[in-house]
Amino acid sequence: MKVGIVGIGITHFGVHEEPFYNVAYTAARKALEDAEMERHEIDNVVLGGYDVSVGRTISNMYTAPAAGGYLKDEIRVSDDAAYALALAYMRIKSGIFDVAMVLGYGHCSETPIELVELLSLDPFFHRDLGISYQMSYAMQSYAYKMKYGVEDETAAEVVVRARKRASKYEYAHVREEVSVDDVLSSEMVIFPLRKLELPPWSDGCVALILAEETIARRINPEPIWVEGLGWNTENYYMGSRDLAELSSTRKAGEMAYRMAGCDAKSVEAVEIMDLTPYHHLMALEALGFAADGKGGELIESDFPTNSSGGALCTNAHGTTGLFLTANLALQIRDGCDRGISHAVSGYAAQNSIVTILGV
Amino acid sequence: MRRAAVIGVGQTKFRTRRDDKTHPELTREAVSRALEHAGITMDDVDAFVFGTMDPFDGINCPDRWSSTAAGFGKPFMKISTGGTTGLTTGIAAYQHVASGLFDVVVAVCTQRVGENVDAQPVLNTAVDPIYERHSGVGAISVAAIQATVHMQKYGTTEEQMAWVSVKDHENALKNPYAHIKKKIGVEDVLSSPVVSSPLKLYECCPRSDGSVAVIFASEEKAEQIRDDPAWILAESSISDSYFVGDRPDLAVWDSLSIAGRRLYRLAGIDDPKKDIDVAELYSPFTIQEILELEALGFAEKGEGAKLAEEGVTFVDGDMPTNPSGGVLCTNPIGATGLVRLGEASLQVMGEASNQVDGAEVALAHAWGGTLQFHALMLVSSHKKLRR
Amino acid sequence: MVLRIEAKWEIPYVHSAGEHATKFFEALKEKKILGVKCPKCQRVLVPPRAFCERCYVDTDEWVEVKDEGVIETVTINYARFTGLPDPPYAVGIIKLDGADTGMLAYLGGVDLTDWKKAHEKLKVGTRVKAVWKDRPEGRITDILYFKPVEE
Ligand SMILES: [Zn+2]
Repeated sequence: MKVGIVGIGITHFGVHEEPFYNVAYTAARKALEDAEMERHEIDNVVLGGYDVSVGRTISNMYTAPAAGGYLKDEIRVSDDAAYALALAYMRIKSGIFDVAMVLGYGHCSETPIELVELLSLDPFFHRDLGISYQMSYAMQSYAYKMKYGVEDETAAEVVVRARKRASKYEYAHVREEVSVDDVLSSEMVIFPLRKLELPPWSDGCVALILAEETIARRINPEPIWVEGLGWNTENYYMGSRDLAELSSTRKAGEMAYRMAGCDAKSVEAVEIMDLTPYHHLMALEALGFAADGKGGELIESDFPTNSSGGALCTNAHGTTGLFLTANLALQIRDGCDRGISHAVSGYAAQNSIVTILGV
Repeated sequence: MRRAAVIGVGQTKFRTRRDDKTHPELTREAVSRALEHAGITMDDVDAFVFGTMDPFDGINCPDRWSSTAAGFGKPFMKISTGGTTGLTTGIAAYQHVASGLFDVVVAVCTQRVGENVDAQPVLNTAVDPIYERHSGVGAISVAAIQATVHMQKYGTTEEQMAWVSVKDHENALKNPYAHIKKKIGVEDVLSSPVVSSPLKLYECCPRSDGSVAVIFASEEKAEQIRDDPAWILAESSISDSYFVGDRPDLAVWDSLSIAGRRLYRLAGIDDPKKDIDVAELYSPFTIQEILELEALGFAEKGEGAKLAEEGVTFVDGDMPTNPSGGVLCTNPIGATGLVRLGEASLQVMGEASNQVDGAEVALAHAWGGTLQFHALMLVSSHKKLRR
Repeated sequence: MVLRIEAKWEIPYVHSAGEHATKFFEALKEKKILGVKCPKCQRVLVPPRAFCERCYVDTDEWVEVKDEGVIETVTINYARFTGLPDPPYAVGIIKLDGADTGMLAYLGGVDLTDWKKAHEKLKVGTRVKAVWKDRPEGRITDILYFKPVEE
């Protein structure tokens, strides 16, 4: 039995004046309209997003009814909502449920996320050092850059291409095009990352409707199938890891490829959660698209990565990964046969999840 | 549907503070005990599901640190749904196995409410900041408003509610992991100070630190690993609307009735009183066990209050509830639901510290939000319901 | 002895009420309470929200409800909790005349010293009326509390 995506609803990503209760409702409504379904046809909701980042303990109290969960089975993953899609897949695959509303929410404009993330560090060994979330990604970037001698220009080129793609993607947050010079002359914020090499903090919601194979075909003659899923976790203690590689991404990718019965060669589209340009390259390598340290070579080619502009242009903490998966689903609808999306969470990309979609 | 069972349960001792251990060390204590109980090792585990309620421990997403004790290098997923977290973590772990993706999955929940100087302000941040947070409402007040209505509508008395507390405290004395261990009588409850009227101190749960782990396995693995696994018969969960003012009648917990109906239908239960031998209910406040008994079909509407008073819910009664001492005596909030499942599983394995004679079918329940969520799981010593 | 570290979280948040709720708060400035009517189930929802969770449709028909109603339930808090109001204080759910859902609010105008006596005066079904701030600012606390109406 397969599980397919039959409805896609994406809100505008940027700064929302409306509370995310309303933004979540908008995304879920759009997904239902896209699938030409009504709320009562859903038998469960699977949410993904954080609490402290949005200023509400048990934030799923807010988003469950907004996602259509009134008197329905409900569960929430407190991580990137890409995990919610994996859980929804398992809930349907097990035969327990038929149709799931997967909803991811991020709402970064109401609080300093850097401070919230700092509080995710243990209060003994790490928090007092004031290592910000982005600093951990910068340390990783630097380790990778030094190990393989990646040029500043290569990183800048990743940003230039991301912005160019985002400028054409209606849901992206930051859509102004920039040049390599713009990137390199922007201020150094967290060495080695310059201002234009850091992602924005965005607000927005994504809703995807997943259905069991037979039902999926009733709803849509051409569902987008979930072919592979994989997720993994690295050591929390950054000092115990090789920061120059994304090992949780590598393991997650291996699991997803194994489940889908394919490898990187058969993948036509890639959506990567690149919180820095260096992570863009590291993830491409971890997912098997380039040899270690050779990710930069792909940037020069026409390799189809991040048609959404990626996390560098849209980053709603809690649903950035699902935002990328939703864009991948749109690409498959437009004729692409198979694609892969990727998400990370935690300091220095501790956790990774990979989703393979296909026709 | 792929059948699955609980094959191991491990708990830490629950205390106000566990100053002796860090977050991951507490997690490890529970995971190690569960592995030992199942007779397997970390190498046998395919994936972890971790549950906690974020802001209570003073660490945002403490799962990231605690995962060092819950198998990093393996698939790891974090669940958080409020008071139901423990049980929804169990449900998610069960679904990991039932989907066929994994064979052996550990659900683990760690919570350190005691590190938080005061839990009620944190619970207040669950209330809408725009319309409702100013009211200072926390978990105690939402239970108290249920009690006010139940007492006025059905004539439930303070003494009847006190009996629930007396029963749970008596049960906790037999549970080595329970937090509050104190023999009390109805008079002690009635003379304890009023916290949120009409609820008194001994009608309210403590704040506990601790961890619990429950291991799930596929049918094949479960049978290889042990002779007496606790088979999962069914699970269900429900979300009500967001605003507490929208509840149509606070004297009945109708959303729990709906979730219960679904659960019973899945498991083939016609008469819960006859088919279920013991229930571990999430009742941090006396009134809630009464509402839950009514909602789940163990008592008629308005009659739930008589059960403890008449001894029905005591461990030797016809419908024992919370033989572990329940949530009234131990409440590590985001872990509490998984404690319910762990204790229910031990009952049908025949290994509970306060064993109900001949228990074959046990119910685990949790509620969360401002009376918004419920989660339920049903376990049995048999693969299917036997009547 | 183990090391213990004191910590305190101070995270600033700026919560946006959105267009819908903003209308409600604007009306409070004129001591008016607004609800929205669901076009499908016809329930008047107070406090108002942009969609009906049950019917899953947008709500945009505004109706004014009375600042009077009945107590659906009540509790009085006697314990002191960090950051929460000083005890004792009474909180309840009030169903306002013209509304189909209850609203969380303070109750007052009654001596709270003895909880049993106070509950007698704040019984479920008791009619209550809002006591407003002299100069409302467009916040939920403009309604100081609801107090029993002398029959
Ligand atoms: Zn309606």
